[in-house]
Amino acid sequence: MTTYYLEYLKLKKKLRSWLGPIIVFILIMVAYPLTVEFLEKDLEKGFYSLLWISILLSMMLSTEDIFLEDFNDGTLEQIIISTSSFPFMIAKKIFIYWIMIGLPISLLSFLFSLGITQDINLSLFVIFLAMISSYIFLNLFVFGSALSLNKGSVLGALITMPLALPVLIVLGKSIIAIQFGINYLELLLLLLGCLSIIISIVPFIVSYVIKAHLE
Amino acid sequence: MNTKSLIKAENIAYKINENKLFHNLSFSVSKGEALHISGPNGSGKSTLIRIILGITKQTKGAITHNESNNMSYLGHKNALKNYLTVSDNLILLGLNSHEKLNNFLEELALKKYLDVTVANLSFGQQKKLALLRIFLNESNVIVLDEPFVGLDTYTQNVVESFLIKEINLGKALIYTSHINCNIDSKILNLK
Repeated sequence: MTTYYLEYLKLKKKLRSWLGPIIVFILIMVAYPLTVEFLEKDLEKGFYSLLWISILLSMMLSTEDIFLEDFNDGTLEQIIISTSSFPFMIAKKIFIYWIMIGLPISLLSFLFSLGITQDINLSLFVIFLAMISSYIFLNLFVFGSALSLNKGSVLGALITMPLALPVLIVLGKSIIAIQFGINYLELLLLLLGCLSIIISIVPFIVSYVIKAHLE
Repeated sequence: MNTKSLIKAENIAYKINENKLFHNLSFSVSKGEALHISGPNGSGKSTLIRIILGITKQTKGAITHNESNNMSYLGHKNALKNYLTVSDNLILLGLNSHEKLNNFLEELALKKYLDVTVANLSFGQQKKLALLRIFLNESNVIVLDEPFVGLDTYTQNVVESFLIKEINLGKALIYTSHINCNIDSKILNLK
């Protein structure tokens, strides 16, 4: 519990790191209706594609400096020396980032979805999809951020972006499935399966990559 | 490994690309002993420290740690958060409720800076704050890379007295320093 609190304390003080991605997400969502005709039908058409891409972008921004500061000030070295479970520490860090950034964005997705579609069932479903997808994207970009730890975060994001494309495709299919009343449970389970694999693998890969950087 | 020996290195070598930084280094550090790693700039002192800590892997040789080893380390980076206050940093270090904290804060003249952001402290004050990690940690091996850099004479004496006391209590100390100090140590000279 202490580690969670300490990570929360660090992130809370870095407004730019957690509030920045949320504001970017809100700005994109607010800007969307302004760029198309004010007809409900048209708004609905491209809304979900934009929603998933906005979540993807926000998660990318949130991981921009996730390890950089700890790398530069020597905290990562102290963690490696003092703990036997570095991957577990990384998993906790990702979780706190998701709680502070991914969860609010998922809840905001519900509000924007409800505002655009006025469909409460679809919007409730969107919360689950947004929660799962934001956690997946976060893990992927954390991996990217670790890869390019001292070479700039854009490079890492570019490397990991293709890994997010299958998730975007499944998200799109899920919305179509629920809109047309097709069974969407398989798609939801597929996303949950992806999430469980990513959650269990990424912290180990990231810890290995960071140790290689420190070496 | 000798039961008293906490760290034992045998024929350690390290090279960057094809340049040998050091080779065939053997040493051991036991309870109540200090090892001073000395040598000119670029001789590999910090690298050797990182090898001892397990952060960097040696090219050749073996380093054995006693199972009971619990190391505390302070290197060139202080591992402090510049945007947080001294109090917040003490929370992050898990030292805020340590029973000896107040004594050391007074001894190191840091008590009046508890609400000051670390970025606003001088280099020496930041170093003193980072040293609290060493002072209040319950480790049996203390590893320090240039611990006296940036410290005034009074603080250097405080740090030295503390380290000598810890060695007498049976802890092991491994350190590098270009500044003369009064710690009775074995010397490992890297040329």
